[in-house]
Amino acid sequence: MTTIADELTIERRGHAGSASRRRTNFVIFLGPAIVLTILFFIVPVIIDIAVSFTDLSRSLHISEFTTEQYAKVFRTDRRLSQVIGLTFIYVFGTLAIFNVTFGLILAITTTAIRNVSGSFFRGVWLLPRMSPSVLYILLWLWAVSPTEAGLVNQVLMQAFGLDAPLDLLTSAPIALIIISNGFIGASMGMIIFTAAIRGIPEHLFHAAAVDGAGTFAKIRFITLPALRWPISFVTIYQTLSLLVSFEYILLLTKGGPFYDTTVYALYVYRRAFESGQYGYGAALALFLIVIGVVVALIGWRFFDMERLLQRPRIEVH
Amino acid sequence: MIHWKIGTAALLSAALAVGSAAFLAATPLFAQETVKLELWSRQDPSGPLRPGNVVKAAERLNKELEAEGSSKRVEVVVRESPAKGFDDDALQLLKVFGIGEGPDIFIAAHEWICAFQEDGFVLKLDDYIAKYPQHFGTIFPSLWSSAKCPDGTYAIPQDAEARMFFYNKKLLREAGYDAAFVDAMPERALSGDLTMDEVLEIAKQVVDKTKAPYGVLHRPNKGPDYIMVFQAYGSNFVDPQTGKLLLERDKLAAAFGWFERGVKEKVIPANNTAMEFDTLRKEFYTGNAAFWMYGIWDLGSVAFPTYGLPQDEKAFFADWGWIAGPAPQKGGAPVSLTHPIVYAIAADTKEPELAVRLLGHASAADLNTDHAVTTTHLGIKAEQLEDPRYVKAWPLARATELLKITKFLPNNSQFGELNGIIFAGIQGIESGRLSAQQAADFVIEEASATLEDVIVK
Repeated sequence: MTTIADELTIERRGHAGSASRRRTNFVIFLGPAIVLTILFFIVPVIIDIAVSFTDLSRSLHISEFTTEQYAKVFRTDRRLSQVIGLTFIYVFGTLAIFNVTFGLILAITTTAIRNVSGSFFRGVWLLPRMSPSVLYILLWLWAVSPTEAGLVNQVLMQAFGLDAPLDLLTSAPIALIIISNGFIGASMGMIIFTAAIRGIPEHLFHAAAVDGAGTFAKIRFITLPALRWPISFVTIYQTLSLLVSFEYILLLTKGGPFYDTTVYALYVYRRAFESGQYGYGAALALFLIVIGVVVALIGWRFFDMERLLQRPRIEVH
Repeated sequence: MIHWKIGTAALLSAALAVGSAAFLAATPLFAQETVKLELWSRQDPSGPLRPGNVVKAAERLNKELEAEGSSKRVEVVVRESPAKGFDDDALQLLKVFGIGEGPDIFIAAHEWICAFQEDGFVLKLDDYIAKYPQHFGTIFPSLWSSAKCPDGTYAIPQDAEARMFFYNKKLLREAGYDAAFVDAMPERALSGDLTMDEVLEIAKQVVDKTKAPYGVLHRPNKGPDYIMVFQAYGSNFVDPQTGKLLLERDKLAAAFGWFERGVKEKVIPANNTAMEFDTLRKEFYTGNAAFWMYGIWDLGSVAFPTYGLPQDEKAFFADWGWIAGPAPQKGGAPVSLTHPIVYAIAADTKEPELAVRLLGHASAADLNTDHAVTTTHLGIKAEQLEDPRYVKAWPLARATELLKITKFLPNNSQFGELNGIIFAGIQGIESGRLSAQQAADFVIEEASATLEDVIVK
């Protein structure tokens, strides 16, 4: 015969056992991910902060700890304001025109047509993402070559009778970096939005059709509201991605002409690796990290992402 | 019995003697020590014999060591860097030295040598150079200045070249200039009679009166040639008293003004810096540009083999030619630039003596001539001028005339970075983002903000 006290002891033991199991599971399942996060995300930030307070130069020597790099950022670097302005235009332009809007148009159009054709077009738009970046940019360099051999100039001169070839790399470099990055960025939005559109119950569209809704009304009142969370996610994710990526710009325009296409991340790269000013590059990079965190938090708040991640109130069986 | 004993003893003694002799003869072989010297070299198709000659030199040095009875033998291990230019290569190598993984010997563009010296990575060579006159005594004295830092000599010149304005005589004649005028241009440039602006005028005539779309083309990336224009307008970038970087606003603006006028007159294309190197060469060598600002080795590396320019001297000069960088105004001084590549030895190499001797053999006149005639670079020693192979390579002999007026890039440890800023200024002007005055201001602001000890006047 067991007393109440015995039962309580057994229950406590059980709880203790399950708590220790929970701890073990935590270490087994989340441990590797936490270690990797610390190694590749937290430690680099700490190193960056440490380096930014040194005079680490091109031969990787540190002779003193200093705040000089921050003084440079705030006092002497006159390129910085131009670079920040350009980065805003680049990120906002690419995001607004391609990564969200064009991705959405592609998703809506390719889900509105026959499945085979839709899949084919989506496949075509995925090609740039699947190609190596160097190959993709080589094609762009050929397309916008300022000679008569360039694809754009061939079309303009032969089909539209243009007299002299255009030099888009010099005359419209910002548009070029937005378009070349946008063609790749649009594919991610396209896939996420396509999946979300596919998840909308079919009967809603039929009901709307019965109520006399046309195509645009269906998009406006059924599709778009259902895409709110994917749009929010794509916007925040792609903003952060655009802020730190520069490889296509480096390959296409090398940041030029002059500093016209040197976005912030590329500026950090040029300062650190082309001039050997690693300490200064680290200070600039720290601001990029801060900007990224701030943008993510603003986006989180603005799009009310917390609600997206809440547990569903109704359990569906 | 006694006979048997004597015979056995004799045989044993003989065997012992032969064995000892064989052992003694084999001893040096067993004791031979191989010294591995690592050589850092950029993968550079314009000079494969720069490392190649060091490898060959090891054979010569080993024979010498053998003759001396030394037990040491040298083996060269080449470590190739894939850097796309000497600037990138130097930055990479500075990092390699910084983490203690530097080579024993390296090949670099001369203007970087003081950056290595400043961080204590490179060996001072004055005593060694004096010790081995048989190797270094006949190197042109003028070339040694490209290997010096404020307190001594830190490198050995490996080659030299001449930078100039190549020009297409056919196009100039088509534009209306008579043959006498066209052929006299090199002389006029050397005497200071031909000016920088006259080059733009001639180029303008070519663009206006012929089918050629370009007047003057220059390299599309950071490099030495366009510095010639700044030197013509009086900028030498280093204060002779202090050795610090010197930027003179008016002189910078004057040089940038030349580029600005060139673009305004549609003589220099606005997208010159966006074009590929190969495209620029193609445009010039296929008759689409009047002038090409570059260096003598381009004839041997590209013009002859790729574009089929005549290799015969007379045939070449019938339709092509080159001039020194003209003077800024009549009666002024013309310029040419030479950009020696140098050999240097790491300060922490375990065998500095052997490394110096190895580079001494690599600098032998015959090996250097192999490099010179196969890549159209100028030699480093007077005796090379008499080598029949060198004499036969007429571009070398003809370009040597420019050495009388040649200048170097400054051996300042920060010049590589300053040159990047100057190049950005040229790009700003040509793409219409900056005026000449703004470009001068930009260079001064940028250099003052990012470099140390810059004197501004």
